[in-house]
Amino acid sequence: MKRIKQVLGGDLRQYTMVVALVLLIAVFNIISDGRMLTSSNFQNLLAGNAYVLVLALGMLMVIVIGQIDLSVGSVAGFAGMVMAIAARDLNLPWWVAVLIALAIGLAAGVWHGFFLSKLGIPGFITTLGGMMIFRGGVIWISKSISVPAPAELKWFGSGYLPEWGPAFTGMNNSTLLLGIIGIAAFIIAQVRKHKASKENNPIWAVVVRICIVSAIIGYFTWLYGSGRVGTSFPVPGLILLILIIIYHTITTRTKFGRNVYAVGGNKNAAALSGVNVERTYFLTMMNMSLLAAVAGILFVGRSTAAGPADGTSWEMDAIASVFIGGAAVSGGVGTILATMVGGLVMAVLNNGLMLMGVGADRTQVIKGFVLLAAVAFDVYSKKSGSGSVFSKLFRSEKK
Amino acid sequence: MKKKIITMLMAATMVSACLTACGGREGAAESAPAQAVEESAPAAPAADAADAAEPAAEETADAEASAGEGFEDGATIGVSLPWLGTQNWKEAETMFKEQLEAAGYNPIVQAADQKVPQQQQQIESMIENGAKVIVVGPVDGTQLGAVLEQAKDAGIYVIGYDRLLENTTGVDGVVQFGSVKTGELQAQALLEGLAKVKGEGPYNIELFGGGPADPNAPNFFNGAMSVLQPKIDDGTLVVVSGQTDFTQCATVDWDNSKAQARMDSLLSGFYSDKDIHGVLSPNDGIARAIITSCENAGQQIPVVSGLDAENESVEWVWSGRQYSTVAKPTDALVAETIDIINSLKEGKGMPSTDVTVDNGVKDVAIYELPPVVVTKENAKEVFANDPGRMELLK
Repeated sequence: MKRIKQVLGGDLRQYTMVVALVLLIAVFNIISDGRMLTSSNFQNLLAGNAYVLVLALGMLMVIVIGQIDLSVGSVAGFAGMVMAIAARDLNLPWWVAVLIALAIGLAAGVWHGFFLSKLGIPGFITTLGGMMIFRGGVIWISKSISVPAPAELKWFGSGYLPEWGPAFTGMNNSTLLLGIIGIAAFIIAQVRKHKASKENNPIWAVVVRICIVSAIIGYFTWLYGSGRVGTSFPVPGLILLILIIIYHTITTRTKFGRNVYAVGGNKNAAALSGVNVERTYFLTMMNMSLLAAVAGILFVGRSTAAGPADGTSWEMDAIASVFIGGAAVSGGVGTILATMVGGLVMAVLNNGLMLMGVGADRTQVIKGFVLLAAVAFDVYSKKSGSGSVFSKLFRSEKK
Repeated sequence: MKKKIITMLMAATMVSACLTACGGREGAAESAPAQAVEESAPAAPAADAADAAEPAAEETADAEASAGEGFEDGATIGVSLPWLGTQNWKEAETMFKEQLEAAGYNPIVQAADQKVPQQQQQIESMIENGAKVIVVGPVDGTQLGAVLEQAKDAGIYVIGYDRLLENTTGVDGVVQFGSVKTGELQAQALLEGLAKVKGEGPYNIELFGGGPADPNAPNFFNGAMSVLQPKIDDGTLVVVSGQTDFTQCATVDWDNSKAQARMDSLLSGFYSDKDIHGVLSPNDGIARAIITSCENAGQQIPVVSGLDAENESVEWVWSGRQYSTVAKPTDALVAETIDIINSLKEGKGMPSTDVTVDNGVKDVAIYELPPVVVTKENAKEVFANDPGRMELLK
């Protein structure tokens, strides 16, 4: 047990969901005769869920500050629809339309942020209003009819990275490059961390950790890179990856990130120690709506058209991802990476059940139970303060 | 020392990554036979040539042999329906399952709960499951572009069911009832009913349209208006509210409760001192909502058209509460779809048809079936072969 701890780097609880995710993938892969772990399925999995995961990035921060944003689906739908209409009726080039959509998201965020931070209206109410306003807005401006989007946008929603360089690699070289960068970055980060850390974590543990993670990255590089010719790691996945890195850095390395957790943990204490609570609220809400616009753009790109019902109940998927990822309802707790794992658990569940031919009705029921179980488990393990079931298993084994 | 270990490690990882990679591309080889059906010129990916030439060549040979023969018995057929919330879709689900199984296929029939992303993912999972043909009744005919093109790239035939697939090259044909024709029939039944039930004109009427996301809905409405507009112009028909645009009359998501709310407000707003004589309704659910609304408002039941011949509406037509409905027999639509699938299986390709419709990107072949108007007079003839609905006519 001690050795496993050394490899994983201490806290085991954060790995519970990762283990659950791996188990889910394995079980579905067996039940579906290997249809789960295929290049095309994983490409679909990422391209089809990128918009929810992008929303979850922003939602994590909103939930950490102790608020909730119900408007994200409507804002995403509205931004996507404005983009499609701007491109079609005003004949704007696609990139101008994209910028307009992002501006709409930003403006919606300023609107929500203003009501929350300046007027002190709870985020739930502010964004419930926003949800109605923007949903109505979508239907209004579209006259309830879907609007085809510029063809270039398809690249954002379901495009692939270019193919180049030597063919002997047997893979899409863009994907291979990404994988190599990923492994290299991880190794550099680990080595630095090891040098900097004062704890005496043995070198072999670091090496084993590097081996395991490199093998995982290597496997997925191969999985994504070796699909049908012309496919690769999907573009929406790459966009998501870049956003994850950005937001992981923001939440763990910047002053703003620390403020977010401080405000969520204890608003008054944070204010007394000099954190600008208003500003933190404002920026977090603004950021959420901006990400909602990004999600809307990705989805319209994938659908090739913006529809009046786009975004309906997306906020719920995003919120579920955050809580499955172990964020606390009371605020102050939660990480970007755990949220992504939570979102992927939902996505894999959805995907696996569909591969098995389970209908939308039962899928919904199962997802509901998983959400409840994940949060209940989290609450339980925090109360008992004894780590996860996972660590308990290992502990009893040792005794 | 540390550095050495790490360098060695990096090297080892990369070598192993390369090795596994060379064995890769099997997925591509597997999908070759499917592509062959379409292009009949399958080329093994260059990357394979060195390492996996032999198995790939075999696969290719198989593919060429099967190109002219369609696909084997027990092939997987995907059917993606928008939802199961109305009777016709539920019937389609059951029929597809039973009849495809009876014809020796392996059907995957799924419904998307009216959610576009869900439907996109379902279609992808059908591609994953190796479907040879995917039948799609879209939630929104314009929003499946990318995923259907993905199906095409995998060499799968895509057949639209009941609704047009717009804005995509990934569609081979669409099986549907003539939707403009359906609208015309609804309007003719409305006129006929007004003359029969409400005596001399002019008649006060209101217009309802279907869900705007459904490409059929404007066609129904325009078909109906082609019959009604001349009568409105000559004063035989009066649309009291003045709402004659499709967007004004549309019912979002075909939601009955929204239609009922609109009818309630029309009646309280425009008919406090007038009688309503007739209502153009795009389907049965909305027709019943309209009739209920009129009853609640204390109006005489107007002449109302309908569509789908849902059980409840068949009863209402039989008892005289709803004047007419239009039957689009689901069994005929399913049978036509399965005929096409059989033709594809035998390697004969898509059957020929004269009707094509521009879906925004390409001309799509349309396999049109004629709908049937049902009133109390002809109900027994129409449903003679439908024991379930004959039960209702008692």
